[in-house]
Amino acid sequence: MGDNIRAGLISGIAFGVIIIITSLIGFFGTVSALLGEFLFDPKTQPAALYSLVLILALLGLWAGIRAAKPVGTDRWSGALVSGAVAGLSTGLFVGIYTLIIGGFNARGLDIRGYLAQMSPDAIRFLLFQLPPATAALSYFLLFTTTGLAGGFLAKTLGRGRLKKANQQLKSKITELWESTSVAVWLSKFPYTQYIVYGAIIILALLLPISLGQYWNFTLGTVGVYVLMGLGINIVVGMAGLLDLGYVAFFAVGAYTVGLLTSPQQLSQFQIDFWPAAFLAIVIAAITGIILGFPVLRLRGDYLAIVTLGFGEIIRILVRSDLLSDFTGGPQGVRQIDGPSLFGISLTNDRAYLYMIILAIMLAIFVTIRFKDSRVGRAWVAMREDETVSQAMGINTYTTKLLAFAVGAAFAGLGGVLFASRNQYIGPEDANLLVSINVLAVVIVGGMGSIPGVFLGAFVLKGLPEIMRQLQDYRILAFGALLVVMMIVRPEGLWPSQRRRLEMHEEELPLEELEETEAIGALEAALEESTK
Amino acid sequence: MAEIALTTRRKTRISGFRIVQIIVALLTIAFITWRFVGVLQSGIYGTDTWLRFIISGVIIGGVYSMIAIGYTLVYGILFMINFAHGEVMMLGAFSGYFVLEALRSWIVDPVNEVTFLNAYPIPAILLTFLVGMLTSMIIGVMLERIAYRPLRGAPRLVPLISAIGASIFFQNLAQLLFGPVRRIYANPTILDRANGIRLIVNEKTVVIQYTGIFTVIVSILMLVGLYLLVQRTRLGRAMRAVAQDKPTASLMGIDVDGVISRTFMISGILAGAAGVLWGIHNGIIYHYVGFIPGIKAFTAAVLGGIGNIPGAMLGGYFLGIVENLGPAILGIDFQLKDVIAFSILVLVLIFRPTGILGEVLSEEKV
Amino acid sequence: MSKRLFSLLALLVIASMVLAACQPAATPTPTEEVVPTEEPMETEPPAETEPPAETEPPVSAVPEECQDDPDEKKCAVFAPGDTVKIGFAGPMTGDFSAFGIDISQGGLIAVQDNPDVEGWQIELLIQDTQGSGEGGAAVANLYAANPDVVAISGHTFSGSAAAAIPIYNAARIPMLSASATRADLTQGDQDVFNRIPFTDDIQGTNAAEYLYNVLGVTQLAVMHDGDAYGQGLAEKVAEVFQQLGGTLVSPPVAITAGEADYTGPLNNLAAVAPEAIFYGGYYPEAAVIASQMDVAGLGDAVLFSDDGTFGATFIELAGAAAEGAYATSALPPSSPEKDAFEAKFLEAYGVPAGSQSTFTWHGYDVVAALIHVIRQVAIVGGDGNLYVPREAMVQGVRSLSGFQGLTGDITCNEAGECNTAGPTFFVVQDGQWVEAPGGN
Repeated sequence: MGDNIRAGLISGIAFGVIIIITSLIGFFGTVSALLGEFLFDPKTQPAALYSLVLILALLGLWAGIRAAKPVGTDRWSGALVSGAVAGLSTGLFVGIYTLIIGGFNARGLDIRGYLAQMSPDAIRFLLFQLPPATAALSYFLLFTTTGLAGGFLAKTLGRGRLKKANQQLKSKITELWESTSVAVWLSKFPYTQYIVYGAIIILALLLPISLGQYWNFTLGTVGVYVLMGLGINIVVGMAGLLDLGYVAFFAVGAYTVGLLTSPQQLSQFQIDFWPAAFLAIVIAAITGIILGFPVLRLRGDYLAIVTLGFGEIIRILVRSDLLSDFTGGPQGVRQIDGPSLFGISLTNDRAYLYMIILAIMLAIFVTIRFKDSRVGRAWVAMREDETVSQAMGINTYTTKLLAFAVGAAFAGLGGVLFASRNQYIGPEDANLLVSINVLAVVIVGGMGSIPGVFLGAFVLKGLPEIMRQLQDYRILAFGALLVVMMIVRPEGLWPSQRRRLEMHEEELPLEELEETEAIGALEAALEESTK
Repeated sequence: MAEIALTTRRKTRISGFRIVQIIVALLTIAFITWRFVGVLQSGIYGTDTWLRFIISGVIIGGVYSMIAIGYTLVYGILFMINFAHGEVMMLGAFSGYFVLEALRSWIVDPVNEVTFLNAYPIPAILLTFLVGMLTSMIIGVMLERIAYRPLRGAPRLVPLISAIGASIFFQNLAQLLFGPVRRIYANPTILDRANGIRLIVNEKTVVIQYTGIFTVIVSILMLVGLYLLVQRTRLGRAMRAVAQDKPTASLMGIDVDGVISRTFMISGILAGAAGVLWGIHNGIIYHYVGFIPGIKAFTAAVLGGIGNIPGAMLGGYFLGIVENLGPAILGIDFQLKDVIAFSILVLVLIFRPTGILGEVLSEEKV
Repeated sequence: MSKRLFSLLALLVIASMVLAACQPAATPTPTEEVVPTEEPMETEPPAETEPPAETEPPVSAVPEECQDDPDEKKCAVFAPGDTVKIGFAGPMTGDFSAFGIDISQGGLIAVQDNPDVEGWQIELLIQDTQGSGEGGAAVANLYAANPDVVAISGHTFSGSAAAAIPIYNAARIPMLSASATRADLTQGDQDVFNRIPFTDDIQGTNAAEYLYNVLGVTQLAVMHDGDAYGQGLAEKVAEVFQQLGGTLVSPPVAITAGEADYTGPLNNLAAVAPEAIFYGGYYPEAAVIASQMDVAGLGDAVLFSDDGTFGATFIELAGAAAEGAYATSALPPSSPEKDAFEAKFLEAYGVPAGSQSTFTWHGYDVVAALIHVIRQVAIVGGDGNLYVPREAMVQGVRSLSGFQGLTGDITCNEAGECNTAGPTFFVVQDGQWVEAPGGN
């Protein structure tokens, strides 16, 4: 019984604090309004108010379930006590909070000077348009009943019963899929691969035509991040060199193409887009080698910190007065030229999306070729154990430099497309957050995996756009989502085979482990070095 | 093991590298000397100006060193960069602000309109620090519980991303809670930011603000206290044991999770104090205030040798002073002071990867 | 491995196709007052659905310029009960969120004051650009794809505005910015961008003249925050000041915005003893500079700043050190309308106008002026719909004339500069901004 009360108290306090903070940032108001539109007929009912009660009730239920789940769901009394205590304590917390803010409001005190979202209207809404004492009481009752109900639910659902059912369903679906004739036929048919290839390419080429301008633009941004993600995937995912200054190469590519094609007086030359783009990529790759050289001997986090330092140095130099005659300083480079082909200007968002898609295909091709080559295996071997790979005869210096150069070239290409699409590049586009975002793309997506990069880029650049409905809360939600995602799926959304095995080693039989790429790569490296 | 087999090969490589290193070092020193002599000859800075640079460097260095220790403690034990540490400091600064606002509006002597803040400044300041440190401590511990503990054992990039997510979350939470307005710390009159010790140097006044002196004293006191805690107490011993070898420490009967939790507690307390000091000395806080000092303090921690407490302290003061003196010595724009800070970081890591005071960490640890 | 890649790609493509298919219905309209019972108008081109119009020639159901326009490219069409939308674009999150939040709040008050046009409700949509060019282009595409948006308040920052101008120009949506002051924005091959603050060039020239002629400063130092706005302004002041015959005692000094300790660069300047410092940037840094000038040994120098600094918060932040500091502003010192607005703002948001940025009043004026133009050009068709011709909107904003706003008379010239009055100069006396003598 003591355990049950304890669990209830902990859950209750946690939920109480969460509910109070959520209401203090005004989140309930926005979400209730959104939900109210969705669920109820806004004309006939106070839709937002109903949704608020609904949301609060669900939270209360959750608090009850959480309290009852870990302890004593074997006995009815235990589960109910946990749920009830959780509900009571949440209710008490929130009730007192309601009394306080309601009291302030009733006295006509404006607390927005300190708590920006607590306008009188918002407070009245939170009080269900009731006097403070009544509202506090109804909060208390609401949470107590829902908490109790949560405890009841936890008992009925039972421990692990849900999980089991879920697993059964999953395995059934896979069975069904494998037994269907289509799947069998597909796996046997020799040309499936090529047909899928072709279908994807055709669909990818049709995509920009079918989308409106907003999604063309947004997908273009996502595409640039896919490109950079593919690049950092080589540096971090394959070669294991943690790079936090990746934005430097992006900036080099963007600024090179900007300075070479802009009619501004910053540089003496003004050349056509295509040679400028080519030059930009080459210069970015060279920068990768130059920056890579001094940090060759560093490993792990130190490498990360030094590259972070390099990235910041480049950003500050670019915006400084010292170089402003050359780089445009904080004003950036404007009127960057776009590409044209056979006299047709390719400067609308759709054309850019096409170019980005083509660039991504090229990048994927290059990545796959590298991965299957001697160099790719050397990268993987080096990532797994630098000392041993050296012993196997891999020249870690040139291998590292090559990884830096290829990764930098991809980033440079991303920078070229980004700058010429926006017709502008400025120092604010080259800040630390870009490096962090690109790194997050590969980690969220799954390190070392190409489809993971796509998913990661969608989550990082597409999701904030999709979440625009949440208004000011979208970046907050995004931050929370990153944390949750790391906890729930640390290996990323679509991890590479090897990575997944690493994360769930204990869950897998040994023979599967032996098939992992790492060992294969080491073996291959061994073979190569003995030749 | 493998080291032995490699020695001959490595030696030749390293000597080639050494030559490059030495050349770069000589060039750097020559460049600095050349610029410095030029600046001295031009005589644009008198003794008073140099003194002012050093004073502001030491003050900001005190704040950096307190934040840096938070990074160093966590890194020393978990080998992770706690990216949200600057935000923990920011939230501490905000709670201190609210205490001061409350005390400012509490009038104890209605006749002369004396507020509690000015009537009893010392208890008021103590209370502010207490609340600020408590808030940061709770947030630090919760952060570890929620965002980092489930990730123990995951590859090291995973907690880093989680920390970045937490940092974004806290910044936006603070903006939504308190609004985007810049807020002013209400100091008691004895700590008025405009007052200080006035020295006459070179026929000009040099002001050492009382808040600055206060900042340095508080930071040194806290750092000494922390050092004693780590070196002399049971908890400190446990922390050092966990930092060296987690599995063995747990075999010795140390509650590893508990020690990690306490480490976050201590680093939160320091961050909270740093936040309040930041508010008292600089006066302005807002939701973004933790980010830049956080990055700088992290740099300081690396400079001093990450994982090393006196190193972080030294790194903080060193960075503060170099940031302020550097542009003057080189005779370049102050906008580039961060370039100097980061260049030093890069150079230190290339020449002495373990930092100024760093112990020689074994390679698998790094 | 590669199979997974294929299936992912295929999934992505299909998902995007589905998304695209839903596009017309799911046109991003992040409004809270969508009435679901209303038929989406996009599906009903008014010209075809109103056969009675042909039989009744005297009252044309659809205004002439709006015929044959199924995609609402030429005119925005509003069925009864719809809301006419103005889009606000500015930073609502991040480091500079204070500006976006503040200016949008000013605009919301303007909608309260002018709630409708011909019985149709007006709504201010608010979208976050995070202050960047990239975010600005994203929001511009979002608004351009929404047929209900007829005008834009914004963008807040120049970089964001520059990225957005080509997009709005193609969609024929006029912009009126409250705060984007970069001089070259109104140039170029476009006619949609207009603004009510004076440009950096005008402000810089006036400030330099005031410093030299009225204050009699001959030894000047300029500082800026390294951002596009502050740097452009500071360079202009330096240039004009030297042309007038003054001496620049040091090359422009750049600081890093967002820090709280600028004693380093100030010490640097103290060594060359300027009579005045011009600072180009915003109030948080200006306040730090003001309060640290004395510590740095610049107690005798005058601080002179811009309209990013003007406002009550600067004084509050800098305290006694603000005394004697100058700033420019477009704001008239006082008027009954301004007082009424400030009262409403305080009531609605709990903080005084101008405490979050210095463009609150501009934010109000922009939306009020845009509503004024919408009222001028909107036509109620014979079919009961409201028509807002896009081209007329663009021309209407460009030819705005004699509109009395809180920030003075708003009259746009042919380039889209809508504030004909030069800046007013203010100085802090006894903790208050008062109009400085000898301005204009």
